[in-house]
Amino acid sequence: MAIFKQNAPHLRRNASVTRMMVDVLVALAPTLIFSFIIYPIKTLIFYLISVVIMEAAEFIYVGLKGIMPNDGQKHSFKERFNYAYKGKYNQNNILTAAITAIIYTLIMPAGAPIYAVIIGALVGIVLGKLVFGGLGSNIFNPAAVGMLFAKVCFGSQYAKNVPTWYYTVADVTTAPTALSNSAGTLNGLIENFNNANFLDMFIGRMYGTLGEVYTVTILVGAIYLLIRRSADFRVMLPYLGAFALFSLVAGLGFYAVDGTTNPGAFTLFSLLSGGVMFGGVFMLTDPVTSPINSPSRIIYALVAAVSTVFIRLFTAYPEGVGFSILIANMVAVVLDHYEWSSPRYTWKKFLTMGLLIIIPAAIIFLVIKFGGVYHA
Amino acid sequence: MVCNSLQKYYNETMIAKTTHINDTKNLVGSLPAVRYTEPQYLYIAMANARCPNAELFIKEGDHVNSCQVIGMRHAAFFDQPIHATCSGTFVGLEKHYHRNGKLTDFIKIENDFKDTLDPSVKQRTPEEIAALTKDDMTEIIKNCALVGLGGSSFPTYIKFQTNKPIDIILINGIECEPYITADHRLMLEFPRRVIDGIKYAMQAFKCNKAKICIKSKYKDIKQVYEQVLKEYENSGIEICCVKNYYPQGWEVAMIKEATGIQLKPGELPSNRGIMNFNVSTMVGLYKAIKYNMPVIKRFITITGDGIKNPMNFRVRVGTSVRDLLSQYCGGYINPDKDKVFIIGGPMMGNSVPSDDIIITKTVTSIIILDKEDYVEQPCVRCGSCVLSCPVHLEPVQIMNAVKSLDKERIKMLNPLRCIECGLCAYSCTSKIHVTDYIRRAKVFAKL
Repeated sequence: MAIFKQNAPHLRRNASVTRMMVDVLVALAPTLIFSFIIYPIKTLIFYLISVVIMEAAEFIYVGLKGIMPNDGQKHSFKERFNYAYKGKYNQNNILTAAITAIIYTLIMPAGAPIYAVIIGALVGIVLGKLVFGGLGSNIFNPAAVGMLFAKVCFGSQYAKNVPTWYYTVADVTTAPTALSNSAGTLNGLIENFNNANFLDMFIGRMYGTLGEVYTVTILVGAIYLLIRRSADFRVMLPYLGAFALFSLVAGLGFYAVDGTTNPGAFTLFSLLSGGVMFGGVFMLTDPVTSPINSPSRIIYALVAAVSTVFIRLFTAYPEGVGFSILIANMVAVVLDHYEWSSPRYTWKKFLTMGLLIIIPAAIIFLVIKFGGVYHA
Repeated sequence: MVCNSLQKYYNETMIAKTTHINDTKNLVGSLPAVRYTEPQYLYIAMANARCPNAELFIKEGDHVNSCQVIGMRHAAFFDQPIHATCSGTFVGLEKHYHRNGKLTDFIKIENDFKDTLDPSVKQRTPEEIAALTKDDMTEIIKNCALVGLGGSSFPTYIKFQTNKPIDIILINGIECEPYITADHRLMLEFPRRVIDGIKYAMQAFKCNKAKICIKSKYKDIKQVYEQVLKEYENSGIEICCVKNYYPQGWEVAMIKEATGIQLKPGELPSNRGIMNFNVSTMVGLYKAIKYNMPVIKRFITITGDGIKNPMNFRVRVGTSVRDLLSQYCGGYINPDKDKVFIIGGPMMGNSVPSDDIIITKTVTSIIILDKEDYVEQPCVRCGSCVLSCPVHLEPVQIMNAVKSLDKERIKMLNPLRCIECGLCAYSCTSKIHVTDYIRRAKVFAKL
């Protein structure tokens, strides 16, 4: 028996990063399984491609980071391998790449060509994560980076590929998703809204990416994450709440113009359509790319909600969650700057939060009512 | 109960404010203290953390009485007499580990088991005590070398010298760190000494209100004091149950909970009319005022996962822990495993590289744990340390600033406000020793 000296504290909490990642995997599992039932082949192929690419990239990255410095002597491959990987490559490296791969798979559209999936996965893991220094150092969500790169570069090549046994729409090739429409205007959006069936949307009987449309399984995952506290409710709930509020304001704007749109139903439609639920539950809450303290996390969530609504309503892109997550990730770095970062709630922070809600809400309402973007 | 288990669950979850440490007080909390452990040799420290120099008044072979002044410690602005804690023969100086973790000279006294008291020890009558003013008491406790016995070892007479009006005296019996039960046993076994000590302090400060703060889960202490306080009518002393959080024993948290006053960082409690003492200091005050006696015995806890029989003791100051361990605690569990010896609580205590520890006045507990090696993972910025920090710092930002050696950034993040409660490292999901980084940041910030 030897007696050692160590610095206080001598106890540690029974919680680990590994458990947090396993929690996220468990929370993602229902959605992945649902997606696998609806699109068995696509999900399997996309997942295998992305998980192989991402695990390989992570593995090679750890090896490159641990290259043995030249000390004038010859070392065998085994020595070099041990130098690079021993104690530096562990279950966390495997789990983090697996989570990124699952999220990336679930936000890719079913009609994406294989080469787009490969390039997107490579760009996502390398430019989104590894160039910053791997686990814990990235500032952007790697899955969102990969998905958006593939979409921006190869979006025109995406096909409409849907299983007809699950969807009830007659014309597969020209049918719009809930958000995108042939006209690309707010009038088209309201048309979609008037044709929408909320139960179908809730169980994912609509067009969208592989995993983001199954609101029911995403909710199960969200509840699990909140109970286990592996995702911060200070990000998830303000994001979804502020998004619902902005949608309500937009719905009021539509009602003010045409007099028939139901604002409450439009709010529900906005929440159920597109990737809001998936992004808010699984991507925005990634602690690595969130700010560090609780008031900043709320501001971060509000920024994401504002940009999501603006991109959805007023840009050529029908879906804004991916972009808004990247914008919020950029803001997170600013919020963490040491000169103003503090875990205390001050009146300045409350003012910021209030302005982040009031000004965008006013803009949304006024633009829809008077901006001429929507006609009765 | 439901609330407690929920709280426990939330402390074990990921991104959460940690307020509870896994508490193992049930190990020894209800065990009565073992008394009359008369060892062959007693060791009295020459210097301590606050007094680096000391001189000795006796020669080798001299006979000393219990409570006799045998030396004087010198510090920058005060002197502190050294008292013998038993009667016997002065053998010589030996080096042992002090509670600050350093090898220090100890005065070795061979016990003659007669316990003859020094003539300076005399009982004061109640009339004499009633006539004492604050200045008299200050002089008495200065000569008795009474210090803060909760672990701070701050001289109590300096607290008595304040001229500010004191409205309320708070007695800290919270003992918020896990494992330690010394104050718990003291409060249960000597309630009248505690209350008498508080009465003397109230007499000195001319205040008529005092609160004994305990954790609300200690129903046994509450019952004892509610019963005993009936004997002291209109004493103005009441028992105050505070929440079971860690670090509730931190004076700012205790004052907030007991009186509702929020101290500013660095503000002295006496500015707001509050004086706070540890319970064992109050018993020391009782002994000093009533019998003119220094602290020669104290309660300690020897516990931890590494030994067979965890126990509470009431021992003479100067007892060697090695003797207690072999005689009473039954040795180690898993003697092959590496151990850590901690003096004080497991969250803030020092660890020493040997079991050759001497119990000084301010040692509250010895905790023997099996050494566990934690592998540091990269920080995933979960924010648990920021949520848990009781002084609202951002430990992870300070850690990153230390890693990049950015002095300006470290200063802006105020690491000097840290109380080193250890919650940041305790709550870290990546098992990073965040508290160590903050200690380094403190060094940087002082440059």
